[in-house]
Amino acid sequence: MSIFGKTPASRISDIDALLQILDLVPTSIFVKDAELNFVFSNEAHCKIIGSEADKLLGLSDADFYPQDQAKRFMEADRSVLNSPEPKEFMELATSTDGSTVYSLTRKARVITSGGATYLVGTNTNVTGMKSYEAELEAKEARYRALAETVPVGIWHLHEDGNTAYVNPFLLALVSMTEAEFAETDPNDMLAISPDKGMADMIGTASRFETDLMSRGKVVARAMVVSSGWLDNAGVAGRSVMVTFVDVTKISDLQTVNDQVTRLNLELSENIMKLKATQEEMVKAGRMAQLGQLTATVAHELRNPLAAVRTSAFVLDRKIKGKGMGVEQQLQRIDSGVVRCDNIISQLLDFARTRPVQRKLLDLDNWLAKVVEEEAAKLPAVVSIECTLGLGGLVAAIDADRMSRCLINLISNASEVLVGKGDVRSGGAEFVPSIVIRSSRTGRGIEISVIDNGPGISAENLLRVKEPLFTTKSFGTGLGLPAVEKILEQHGGGLEIASKPGEGACFTAWFPIIETLEEAA
Amino acid sequence: MARTLSILVLDDNAENADSLAELLSLEEHKVQVVYSGQEAIDAYHATPFDLGFFDVMMPGKNGVDSFLEIRQVRPDAKVYFMTGYSADDLLKKAMEGGALGFFGKPMDLPLVLDVCQQAV
Repeated sequence: MSIFGKTPASRISDIDALLQILDLVPTSIFVKDAELNFVFSNEAHCKIIGSEADKLLGLSDADFYPQDQAKRFMEADRSVLNSPEPKEFMELATSTDGSTVYSLTRKARVITSGGATYLVGTNTNVTGMKSYEAELEAKEARYRALAETVPVGIWHLHEDGNTAYVNPFLLALVSMTEAEFAETDPNDMLAISPDKGMADMIGTASRFETDLMSRGKVVARAMVVSSGWLDNAGVAGRSVMVTFVDVTKISDLQTVNDQVTRLNLELSENIMKLKATQEEMVKAGRMAQLGQLTATVAHELRNPLAAVRTSAFVLDRKIKGKGMGVEQQLQRIDSGVVRCDNIISQLLDFARTRPVQRKLLDLDNWLAKVVEEEAAKLPAVVSIECTLGLGGLVAAIDADRMSRCLINLISNASEVLVGKGDVRSGGAEFVPSIVIRSSRTGRGIEISVIDNGPGISAENLLRVKEPLFTTKSFGTGLGLPAVEKILEQHGGGLEIASKPGEGACFTAWFPIIETLEEAA
Repeated sequence: MARTLSILVLDDNAENADSLAELLSLEEHKVQVVYSGQEAIDAYHATPFDLGFFDVMMPGKNGVDSFLEIRQVRPDAKVYFMTGYSADDLLKKAMEGGALGFFGKPMDLPLVLDVCQQAV
């Protein structure tokens, strides 16, 4: 660059060029003498002050700026003149045209080799920066106001565990002052599973629901949203921004909702139960009617049956020994009466709706007696065997009805074995047999009636307990339904196991009721 | 046959009452038949029967109530009941009131004759 030539002559000749260069510099540059009058001003400075350079020389700030500004500038100037160090000032300057600029002013005292003292100053226009700063401040104020008023907890946490900011909402949630909050270990703020640290939970951008803790107690259910670690430009370490939405009430709402859902379910279940009960009641009503009807029919039929039997009996007595050869006919009359009476009994068993009347009994004794009585009525060809396994167990049962149960099962077995007098194919060695077994099992008492008859087909096995279903040429189809009903009235049931050709096993079971109080 | 008994048969069903009476007569007993409870009470007032066979369910006064009334006049009256179906409550009342027992209809007649034999 030629202006920085090495010869003094060239340096002198370059002063004009230097001044022109200074005019091109965007920074305002001025020089004042010891009396604070301008001795130099470049173009940029002239623009700030609002005057041309030649009109400015010999004048001071007081000639251009408002009085208070000029006074402040000149006071600053004097302090610089008294100081060996350059100084910086942030100044607000209003030029003659009324425009205002913020300027960062650097001023220094210069003493020439000739002993003259000057003040050299530069101004950097920071008006733009200043307004940006103001904007930032306004923005920050707005954000702060937002942070302080939103119904969301906000927590700015540094990696080192120090809290940079916590908003009032979060403080209110945990009932702490800012100072108390600052002293709290961040790890104690959230209910976190023991295998995870706080950092694991919020260190990555995440969203989860957990309990918010304060002094070891759950204070709220919170939806937590974390920004994850943020690298803070220009600031050492990382920080995380965590927000908390109080979802306790939402959780409550969820609980209420769950409850309503559960109640709805219960309601629909109850409605179904009600329907079933209604149906049951209709059925019970029908059964009660049927019971009444059956009782009436039983009474009305048994009277003439009794008359028939007694008359036949009288007849038998009257002709006894007279060789009239009608004994067989009289016997048939009596068999017919017995059969009719059995049908009436089955109808009564099935239709009876009165509650069972329990009495305490030694069950094996009772069973042995019933089997003995029934065995006497069976055709002689049928072998009957009874294995008692209850060992003196006393339980409360309705002995009348339960006897009907067994009588039904035993007579059924007998009928399948020798029903019409023909014996199952198997030859002369075949012995029709019935085995009755009592035992105590997990569910109570089991009494099995087992025959070695023809068995029941799978198809019929499905239907044998249906009312009115019968495979007999002469039967009501009410025997097994009545048996099942009596067992159900005792809290038990009837199970049938059979395969064609392998006999059948009818198991009556019912729970043990050992006292009458228990039965009531 | 050892001794003749005086027996009252009570049943509103005449065929039943009559056929039983006939059977008992065949066995040489002295049998009176009545068809209502009130008649039975009146009959017991007149005669101390050795044995009675009473139906339970009848129009008007039932057999059990009639029996209980008779027991007030004849505290040692011996009566068996006959019933077409188990009228549990009435039968219980009868047994508590001193009845000897009951027969289901149609009756087991050899057993009827047995109890008569025992009463002799």
